[in-house]
Amino acid sequence: MWSLIRSDAPSDEPVLVVDDRVTGATEDVLAAGVTLGMPRRDAEAMAPFATVLVRDLAEEARYFEPVVEMVENLVPRVEVMSPGLLFVPVAGAVRFYGGEGPLATGVAKDLDGLTADRRGGEALVGIADGPFAARWAAATATSDEPHVVTDTIGFLSQLDLSTLRETMGGEEMIDTFRWLGISTLGDLARLPRDTLASRFGNPGVLAHRLSTGEDRPVNSREIPPELGVQMAFEEPLESLDAVAFAGRNLAERLLKGLRAAGVAPHTVLVTAEAAFGPTRERIWRSADPFTEKALTDRMWWQLRAWVETAGVPGGIVRLSITPTDLSGEGRQLGMATDESSGIEVDRALARAQALLGPDRVLQGRAQGGRMPGERVVWSRWGEPEVERERDPDAPWPGATPSPSPALVPPRLQPIDLEWDDGMPSRIRLGSRWEPVLTWSGPWRLSGRWWAGERDADRYQLVTSVGAFLCVVSEGKAFLAGVYD
Amino acid sequence: MGIDGVTSAGFAADITASLSPQYIREEGFLHLQPGRVTELIGVPGTGLTRLGLKLLAEPSRVAPVVALDTRGWISPEAAWETGVLAERLIIVRCDDPILWPKVTAALLDGVRAVYAEVPARIKDHDLRRLTALARARRVAVVMRSMGNGLPTGIAHLRLRALGVTWEGANRGHGKLKKRRLMLEASGRGAAGITRRFEVEDEGTDAVRVVSDVVVDQVRRAVGRAGSRSR
Repeated sequence: MWSLIRSDAPSDEPVLVVDDRVTGATEDVLAAGVTLGMPRRDAEAMAPFATVLVRDLAEEARYFEPVVEMVENLVPRVEVMSPGLLFVPVAGAVRFYGGEGPLATGVAKDLDGLTADRRGGEALVGIADGPFAARWAAATATSDEPHVVTDTIGFLSQLDLSTLRETMGGEEMIDTFRWLGISTLGDLARLPRDTLASRFGNPGVLAHRLSTGEDRPVNSREIPPELGVQMAFEEPLESLDAVAFAGRNLAERLLKGLRAAGVAPHTVLVTAEAAFGPTRERIWRSADPFTEKALTDRMWWQLRAWVETAGVPGGIVRLSITPTDLSGEGRQLGMATDESSGIEVDRALARAQALLGPDRVLQGRAQGGRMPGERVVWSRWGEPEVERERDPDAPWPGATPSPSPALVPPRLQPIDLEWDDGMPSRIRLGSRWEPVLTWSGPWRLSGRWWAGERDADRYQLVTSVGAFLCVVSEGKAFLAGVYD
Repeated sequence: MGIDGVTSAGFAADITASLSPQYIREEGFLHLQPGRVTELIGVPGTGLTRLGLKLLAEPSRVAPVVALDTRGWISPEAAWETGVLAERLIIVRCDDPILWPKVTAALLDGVRAVYAEVPARIKDHDLRRLTALARARRVAVVMRSMGNGLPTGIAHLRLRALGVTWEGANRGHGKLKKRRLMLEASGRGAAGITRRFEVEDEGTDAVRVVSDVVVDQVRRAVGRAGSRSR
């Protein structure tokens, strides 16, 4: 619920914070049936009374910075996962505080004092073996009572499969598990790992590891210092723009170097040296190896938080990123695919998207339908796929046969078509009339009368300059596709 | 149209195996070369959009490919039919002649193969810079001008549609089934010799060269005093 912490959220009205899905909601909105992770459109339909705010991660990170600093004062080596979620290794602190219970209670109490007066600021603390179990222990805690898990495997075995989604994605795999009758992590843990590996590959093995409490193995090998990157500035960087540019540049350099070494970072240490003050450090952690975008985002959030909270007095004179946990997992290039170029493609498409807007960089997927324009469902590139409205595997009798027209107008275009004794004779293309050499059709298209659609006839018209798909309805002709 | 036997009913799938060296040479025109620009010339309806998308099929097997759409009309369904992998095809829509060179440059910086419709009012020097960028990045590019064609010196290979014939539809009966597109290849990619050949498209990914119609004239593409091609 950390998403609710923001300066522009009305304090006494129902609020819904969304990106593509719900990331935060007030009690009254939750009471209307909205749940976290629900698609935005569904949530807006269920709670039309709520003020909808688009999630601002940089803003959330800025508010989270004092929380991280406070926890860091209690327990060193804090790892920030995302604004609102952080991990701390507690092995040493447990001895200092005299047990896990007192430690958790102490941390929760201090955090409450800092954030409880704000919406979304309740502190939930969980302790378990491994970050994955600890994250869900915190999710099942209350602000009054931290959840200290004594039997991690037993705790995990009761969790629903959907808990895997946040850590590893794998929507299709989770659906397949459910279809096979597996609904909890305990059910999954009882399956043989080699069988999962052969059926689902690496994601299957990772899911099994998480469900058996192994979590992501900590990579203990020594990381060569030359893999880190740093920049020094003669003129201290004080403006946000300059800091952001330097951060992005450094993130790109780090990942380029790591790619060449065949590894990817799960955890990085960001260090900023202030001109008149202490050196600031923060560890950021990611369940998946950091991509360029993910690391750049985190650099931006962190540096912005430091600059805006006066954490780097006098500006930044040195900036560095050091990988603290590397993984070779997932870096194996496929034989027939070029994974390295995928990163460059992502960068290129992100730039195109920045120039044109998100609605202009698209990916299509097949769906069912009778007309060519109906058979593609569009999603914005880089965003979750839009759900299909019609099943592409259904038979769709009466569908326009292949080959499909290569050009399909977004809406039917009126076109002039002349008839001779009930047969198409001429079609107007631009300023000239072209004789129809031959045609096929009419094929009847029954409209959805309940939605106000009329019946129509389809024709494939062949002229000397090409072929066209036309729809004729109530005596008017429309262009539905060009066989270009 | 065509050569005896080539169009007979028994003629099927892998045509290149039985083709003479002449046909195999023409088949090479349907493969993109890294760092080179292939220009498609012809009015809408001749089948060049489908041919341009078909040229992306091979690169899509190793990396994502992009179709740059100026009208918002390109249908990915046609691309999928020609063998482009659905999850590797990204459609970028840009009809603004000011933004188009910037967007294209951004794409050439990371994508391996691009099919680009070129808006009418793009300046020649922008196209030359983009061609140089494509060469430097070794990006295979197919361009189709929405105006009067590309300026000279841009395209390595020019494929001009001379005519299209359809089979399958007959005065209300049947359906469009097979298209035969007559193309003329010219430019450095055709070794400076203008060649004419036919490709056959049955709505599947097997777009095939079926005949070398005639080599009617030998011209030097390089050094010709050329205005814009049409």
